[in-house]
Amino acid sequence: MDILVCVKQVPDPETKLRVAPSGKSFDTDGVKFTINNTYDEAMVEEALRMKEEFGFTALRVISVGPPRAEEALRSALAMGADEAVLVETPADLPLDPLLVARYIAAAAKDIPHDLVMVGRQAQDDEAGVVGSALGEYLDLPSYSFVTDLAPVPANHLLKMKRYVEGGEEVFSAPFPAVLSILKGAKDPRTPTLPNILKARKKPLKKIPAKDLEAKVSALQGGAKPTSDILAFTLPPPRAGAKMIEFQTPEEAAERLIKLLKEEARVL
Amino acid sequence: MPVDFELSTEQKELQELARRFARDTMAPRAAQADRTGEFPEEVYREAWKLGLMNLNVPTEYGGSGLGELDQCLITEELAYACGGMTTSISANCLALQPINIAGTPEQKERFLKPFCSDYHLASFCLTEPSGGSDVAGMKTTIRREGNEYVVNGEKVFITNAPHASLYTLFATIDPARRHKGITALVVPRDSPGITPGKDEDKLGHRASATSSVTFDNVRVPVENRLGAEGEGFKVAMNTLDSTRTPIGALATGIARAALDHASKYSLQRTSFGKPIAEHQAIAIKIADMVQKVDAARLLVWRSAWLADRGKPVPLESSIAKCFASDIAMEVCNEAIQVFGGYGYMKDYPVEKLLRDAKLTQIYEGSNEIQRMVIAKEHLKRVG
Repeated sequence: MDILVCVKQVPDPETKLRVAPSGKSFDTDGVKFTINNTYDEAMVEEALRMKEEFGFTALRVISVGPPRAEEALRSALAMGADEAVLVETPADLPLDPLLVARYIAAAAKDIPHDLVMVGRQAQDDEAGVVGSALGEYLDLPSYSFVTDLAPVPANHLLKMKRYVEGGEEVFSAPFPAVLSILKGAKDPRTPTLPNILKARKKPLKKIPAKDLEAKVSALQGGAKPTSDILAFTLPPPRAGAKMIEFQTPEEAAERLIKLLKEEARVL
Repeated sequence: MPVDFELSTEQKELQELARRFARDTMAPRAAQADRTGEFPEEVYREAWKLGLMNLNVPTEYGGSGLGELDQCLITEELAYACGGMTTSISANCLALQPINIAGTPEQKERFLKPFCSDYHLASFCLTEPSGGSDVAGMKTTIRREGNEYVVNGEKVFITNAPHASLYTLFATIDPARRHKGITALVVPRDSPGITPGKDEDKLGHRASATSSVTFDNVRVPVENRLGAEGEGFKVAMNTLDSTRTPIGALATGIARAALDHASKYSLQRTSFGKPIAEHQAIAIKIADMVQKVDAARLLVWRSAWLADRGKPVPLESSIAKCFASDIAMEVCNEAIQVFGGYGYMKDYPVEKLLRDAKLTQIYEGSNEIQRMVIAKEHLKRVG
């Protein structure tokens, strides 16, 4: 029983983004990319738990992106994944979540997978699309925003939990399947230094994106991005704080509540 | 392509591991440990768990066997959060290096392995009350009696000494023989006759424990001797040659922290209607600090890079250590100036950095000694 996990390298949340001259993306020049995407880390940890507690045998990790995305894969290997695949895309290839899903689906034809796992969404574009799209392209059921994952491998069933409006829902469904993981049962482990060094010796296969183009073209949507980014803008700068003048704490609270109700309209 | 400043993926990961540990585990404890002088051992245990201690122990004995550049990358990140904790975390590298250099396979097996299978601290015992740089003038003696040595004397300013389980000790079989008498021994802390002194109350590096150690008729088996009698001087010098560059990285980390604090503050703080960063007097300070931190790192990297290629680096490591620690003082000093009156207050982080930076000019070979080495090595090549 094999697990395939999908990771994405994202800009460091602390890095300062600038709009590229095209006005349709951010400028990657001088941007620091993190090795880890927080949501992916939680998901990789959950995948490792599947291997350690539920008898899944191999854990492979895949990413679609430029050569630097190897860093995200190495990080997953250092956490404990067994093998990695990088679908290496040229810098000028525009990617959108559906196209990424097609590339993963095309590569996954040659990678055994009983569970395909993704993070709830990427930390940069926050799209959360790849999981369900993968389900379509791989012709597998997909379950999103899953927590408390507990497989029953003998019956090829997964027991899962999902937060729904006002409560939570516990359900079971068959696998093979695609899962997007909301949060894992454990905090993601930090790769230790010895494991980082061991990860160097684990296999990492690079597939040039063009080698998969025929397979990607055969999928609905083809080898071009489905969506076209028209404009990319930064959020407006935050307005300054408003200081409340007061004589007594009661007065301060009263004025604050009034402002929250009437100006901020959050109450 | 003979020179390449790009780090490997693996090096970036090591850096990221250290950066995260520094940010999440060290930094939140740094101000308190500085104020109280407590020894945050749980931080050090966590560092050990992640593999951030004993970086230089070879893989066959359970260590990571990292090269100098890798060690420097990690050290800079740790020191960015707290110089004192970094000194205590790195002290094992210094204390175990004599065993790496001069130990027999049996000694390495016996002494290094326990450090990789469990959390232990070790201390490097070289400096004496009469001085640290004049190694040949040391007064701690060893006398052979049968299959044992008997050690008498006192060592001072020993990092982690009250908490260590093992000491690497340098002492002389005959003070008259100067450096030819110095001999290296591995001494278990629980040997009768060893007394660590009081925890020193220091200006900086307050999260690190420092004390004297007295040896009163301490008996050490002959099989704990590293190398031959009289080879200790060479062992000590070779050890310091390999740990000097990481001290440069440590100083660079402190300086980078000061630069970052000052830069952010200069963009937030306004005077005369604009951020102080837009006043040229402040902008020039920032520019000078940036240059110094950058140059220090490059000197550290060059020295480490050469050492990793097996080149002797007496000149390059001294330049790196001396320059990085001097600019750390300058940069921390200027950072306080950028903060103005606030920088002088303990509520702000920069005055601690200055106090921490100071030690880097003094320990592991004072900068005066470094300059003597630099001049000597340079002039040797000229004349």
